[in-house]
Amino acid sequence: MKKHGILLALLLVIGGALPSLAQDMMDYPADMSECEVDLSGETINIFHFGDLSGPYAFITQPIVSALTDAVAYWNGRGGVCGAELAQVYEDTGGSREAAQSAYDRFTSAYGDELDLLLLYSSDDGELLREQLAEDEIVSFISAGSIASLYGEDGQTPGWLFASNPLYINQFGFFCQFVAASPELFPDPVIGFVTWPNAFGRSGTEPAAREYCGGLGVEVLAEPQFFLPTDTDILTQVQNAIDGGANIIYTNSLASGPALIASALVDLGLEEEITLAGVNWVMDTTVGLLGQRVLKSNGLPAVDGMLGSMPFRWWTEQDNPAVQFVTQQFAANNRSLPEQNIAYLLTWGAVDSILEATIRTVNRTGSLEAVTGAEIKSTMQSMDYAVLGGLMQHRYEDGMRDATMNRIAVLKYANTTMTGPATGPDDALLIDDGAGGKLFLPLVVPLSDFMEVPQLRGQ
Amino acid sequence: MANINPAGVFDTTYEEDMLIDRTRRDKLWKNLAFLALLLLPLFSVSGPLGLKLISDQYVGLIARVSIFVIAVQGLNLLVGYTGQMSLGHAAFMAIGAYGSAIMARELGFSFWAALPASALLTGLIGLLFGLPSLRVKGFYLAMATLAAQFIIPWALRYPLEDLTGGTRPLSVPAPIIGPFLPYADDAISDDAPLIFEAGDRYFVDVISLRFAQIEGAYPAIELVNPGGLVVPAGDVNMTIHEDAEGNTTGISYIASKAGEYRVAVIADGSTTSFAAQVSRSKALSFASDIAMYYLIVPLAALLMFLARNIIRTRTGRAFISVRDNDLAAELLGINVFITKLRAFFLSAVYAGIAGCLLAFERNSLSLDMFQLDVSIEMLAMLIIGGAGFPLGAMFGVTFIRLLQEAAIPMLRPWLADLLPRVFPFIDAVNITSAINPILFGGALIIFLVLEPRGIAHRWEVFKVAWKLRPYSY
Amino acid sequence: MSEFIYRNKQQLTWALYAVATVLLVLFIGDQLAGKKAARIAQTLISGLLVGGVYGLVALGIVVINKASGVFNFAHGWMMVVGGMIFWSFFTVSEISLAGAGLLSAATMLMIMTTVSYRDLLKQRNLAITAGGALALTALMTVGGIELRWLHALAGTFAGAILTGLAVERFTIRPLIGQPLFTAVLMTLAVAEVLHGVTQIAWGTVELNLPVFVNPQTNSRFKPIRLEAFREALDGIAIIRVELVIAFVLALLAFIGFILFFRYTSVGLAMRATSEDQQLAQSVGLRVRVILAITWAVAAFLASIAGVLQGGAVGLSLNISFVALRVFPAVLLGGLESITGALAGGIIIGIVEQFGTLLNSSEQVGTNLAPYAVLMLVLVIRPDGLFGQKRIERI
Repeated sequence: MKKHGILLALLLVIGGALPSLAQDMMDYPADMSECEVDLSGETINIFHFGDLSGPYAFITQPIVSALTDAVAYWNGRGGVCGAELAQVYEDTGGSREAAQSAYDRFTSAYGDELDLLLLYSSDDGELLREQLAEDEIVSFISAGSIASLYGEDGQTPGWLFASNPLYINQFGFFCQFVAASPELFPDPVIGFVTWPNAFGRSGTEPAAREYCGGLGVEVLAEPQFFLPTDTDILTQVQNAIDGGANIIYTNSLASGPALIASALVDLGLEEEITLAGVNWVMDTTVGLLGQRVLKSNGLPAVDGMLGSMPFRWWTEQDNPAVQFVTQQFAANNRSLPEQNIAYLLTWGAVDSILEATIRTVNRTGSLEAVTGAEIKSTMQSMDYAVLGGLMQHRYEDGMRDATMNRIAVLKYANTTMTGPATGPDDALLIDDGAGGKLFLPLVVPLSDFMEVPQLRGQ
Repeated sequence: MANINPAGVFDTTYEEDMLIDRTRRDKLWKNLAFLALLLLPLFSVSGPLGLKLISDQYVGLIARVSIFVIAVQGLNLLVGYTGQMSLGHAAFMAIGAYGSAIMARELGFSFWAALPASALLTGLIGLLFGLPSLRVKGFYLAMATLAAQFIIPWALRYPLEDLTGGTRPLSVPAPIIGPFLPYADDAISDDAPLIFEAGDRYFVDVISLRFAQIEGAYPAIELVNPGGLVVPAGDVNMTIHEDAEGNTTGISYIASKAGEYRVAVIADGSTTSFAAQVSRSKALSFASDIAMYYLIVPLAALLMFLARNIIRTRTGRAFISVRDNDLAAELLGINVFITKLRAFFLSAVYAGIAGCLLAFERNSLSLDMFQLDVSIEMLAMLIIGGAGFPLGAMFGVTFIRLLQEAAIPMLRPWLADLLPRVFPFIDAVNITSAINPILFGGALIIFLVLEPRGIAHRWEVFKVAWKLRPYSY
Repeated sequence: MSEFIYRNKQQLTWALYAVATVLLVLFIGDQLAGKKAARIAQTLISGLLVGGVYGLVALGIVVINKASGVFNFAHGWMMVVGGMIFWSFFTVSEISLAGAGLLSAATMLMIMTTVSYRDLLKQRNLAITAGGALALTALMTVGGIELRWLHALAGTFAGAILTGLAVERFTIRPLIGQPLFTAVLMTLAVAEVLHGVTQIAWGTVELNLPVFVNPQTNSRFKPIRLEAFREALDGIAIIRVELVIAFVLALLAFIGFILFFRYTSVGLAMRATSEDQQLAQSVGLRVRVILAITWAVAAFLASIAGVLQGGAVGLSLNISFVALRVFPAVLLGGLESITGALAGGIIIGIVEQFGTLLNSSEQVGTNLAPYAVLMLVLVIRPDGLFGQKRIERI
């Protein structure tokens, strides 16, 4: 089978540091709190709903895969503090009506039991922000918008907690990076070429432009929008370049960054223009879709794309959390396109949810006594290394999103599997099972974790 | 469908032919059904009687169904009775929703003023997009309204971004009905914030502050939250009161959300809170689900009844004749164009009311709520329910919403458990995420094959059969 | 005065149109004045080529509408299904014999039972079914990876016919003689089911479909750079090969259908069917067969469009939304017009690109300009640019 061929090859590549594959499965890496209360015979439900069949399904399905695997893993070890783990979820197809009705069903069917809810999209977060506060339900979300996490004024922390930094902060962080590397970007001008939805346009706010301007990084006032169905975005890219941009920043997923990169190659501007983006561009799917077009140096078009990487990535196999998730991924026979951000982050989210639950149970004495407000107070005092180092969840001082970030670059593996390829000759090419060859995407962090600037509410 | 009476019973007058309630039993059943609907929330879990017979989910569900019944009834007037296809109905709802929200936020309209005003506004814009119906017919007209479906949200998103917030969510205050009853006089100081509950109104006596000393400071008196930031207009409504000479006498604030606020003077970017004499009064707020239920459901019933009556008027009959054959209608002396425009206007007014209700029920608006798929879904509801039948909208919306929100969620866990075991070679995640579209599409297909003319048609047939029993024909 | 207006109504109308056009051209010309010639040329080329894809999609919608009067909302999902089937045959080195056999057998069964299930009782028909299935299976599986184009085309062909026939048989056929609204709504239901089927069979992850990839270099075909015009245009304009291929395919399909509808009896029968299904049936036309052919053809057109779109961007469920963007093109050209589909597609393509060139930060190109143009055209020509003028009588 093709899928497994690729998967094994990838595991070999990153497995340079992974001799443990043939050995026993490793222990759970996280330093979780001890259970002081025995929960045998009880069930901890992980509630989540979101778009599983709509326009974002291609990125959300691995969430369910990871949750399924995580639930099976915990139950296989005898549960959490003796309690069985289960997931309760629904598909909204990306519709607001459906999200609202799913929420109503969850709250009325599970009532007191529903204290913690996992959401996928910041749209749902915005829709439910007030209701979550009213019903006292804590919500976990991978990356929320300002409005969902901090309200309309950007200053009122609510009941939603995000794993990633706000997109606008990620953009500000990128500006910091650009300003700090004058040798790479002597006269930086950033132009947005991005999707037109709320996610796509975060970072185009005047506050971000002002902040970057203060660092000496000009940001073009007019963002260029394209749709996921566009086949030709030369016009948008050229608009940005005519506006003076020499860095193109994008908030898009999957084929979005690949499309921009191939437009740059087509225009012969791959050397002059740098492509960068939000944390979602540093993904396996982008790396796989972005190699239809090769640059003049023989490497795929998205090679060298910069992006945020506020957590550890699959290739950082010296990290116990990554090792552990990789093992689980292989053990569950997941396919390569699922080896993406969502799968990785969801294991982290489950870990964080369980840690918050255990801490709260330890304080309240029983699962029944746990309320949303109790979980919220646990979360607010939390400073926790998720899965033993995937990322840090710290929500003190009214913070609702992550504060640490780093910049990484998307590369492709070399033949010796020791680092990124510098050209087509030393790049590792694996058989895609249909007569073609595939480059193997790699993500290489360029900086260490650093504090992101806070640009909301300004 | 013509009225079919039992053998030997004839309509002898025009009035009799036009009756809505044809028998006393008709009337009784209808009133009983309405009464049951009104009593329902009292038996819900969070109802005042504490009976916990009905899940809260259904209270919200019926309220949301009612909103869409209003919208789809508007569509019925246009599509079902006048025969003009429309694919832009959700955009008209968007005008109603955003119009009323902006009126409430920026212009200080109460819900009761915003409702008719936004409905009228929507009606006028509906007229504008009805103009092509002079020349364009059939499915081409559907596409002209499709243009509305794209142009209106575009206008709300970009040119009007300052008012609508563009892609960001827009919060809407909860409807408040007066009168305000005073119940306390307080003095506030620097360290004692105003503690609002939903529906509270604070009146700050500016004269007692001797504000005349601070020149031009009135407009800069704001409510701030504990973080020192100005409270957004959606949360608190501010009105400045003036006396006959035009001097400011006070400022009143009406909160739609509970919260802790301070009154502050903002000058040169710095915020100073101060002490003042305030009086506090309280009004009924419609913040709770049950309160919204009692606002929405009777209004929906009223509008259904109104639509039923519009069809019985001269205009209504003109609608039907335009639908059946517009050329013939013209020969009969009906001004076809004016009739179509009336239908567009009425339809948009209904959409506007529904949009306004949606805004105040949801308290948060986003343009994603009014996309093309919503327009198409409403058309589906209408055709499933029975286009051109008075109860079509009700049947259609109820059927689709029950399918989506009760039947599919009920079957889903069971199927999600069963199917991966039947098809072990397919990824379980793929199966579970495909359940919703397959069940929904499959149910629609089966339903359309069995009953292509809609539920209301079957209902009429059923009623006739019941009246003619035991003789069938 | 009023008599003068009345007499010269036609001329005056055209004069008004002319004035409006001149004003529009002046306005756009003013906006474009600051742009380099290369940008304008590039926009025109991009618009034309993208418009070709739109035209191909629009063609599929028009064909069904022409034959049955149904506006097909499921076209986008037929594109996805077709593209995915192509992917399954194209990117997998070893095609499972069982899968190919099942697909072929199902397709042949559907074809042979188009008129009635009873046809299968005849031995001759059974033999044809079996033989056809064997031949199709062979086409899909015989040979190695070198023949993957053949495999994929055969598989897509069979899959498209199966989809089209199944949609027609189980959802459209029961509605013959029912209100058109109901059939239009039925296509929405079909779209939902196809959506679910796609998710089950292929998941939701965006797939790479390397049809426009040069196997030697493992890279996409290099775009043609118009170096010769560099000086004349004050910059470089490029032509993307994959879009040219799509455009040529659209052109071929367009010519084929023009000839088909004009010169074949089936084409004529389709036109008659769309006028009145019951009437067509009563004059001896086999409405079922005609509808079945139409849907199969439309599904095949959708598959080709799906493959092209998937090859140019990536194969995901989002492809279904392309059909939504094509709606104005269909209407602009005229619902029943083959010429109109292509012309509408190209016009919308160019309008979108120029809208984007002038103002992309407010999405004028995709969300405003096509619909504004559509409104304008519909008010001037209520039946689209090339649509049939309907003569109405009581």
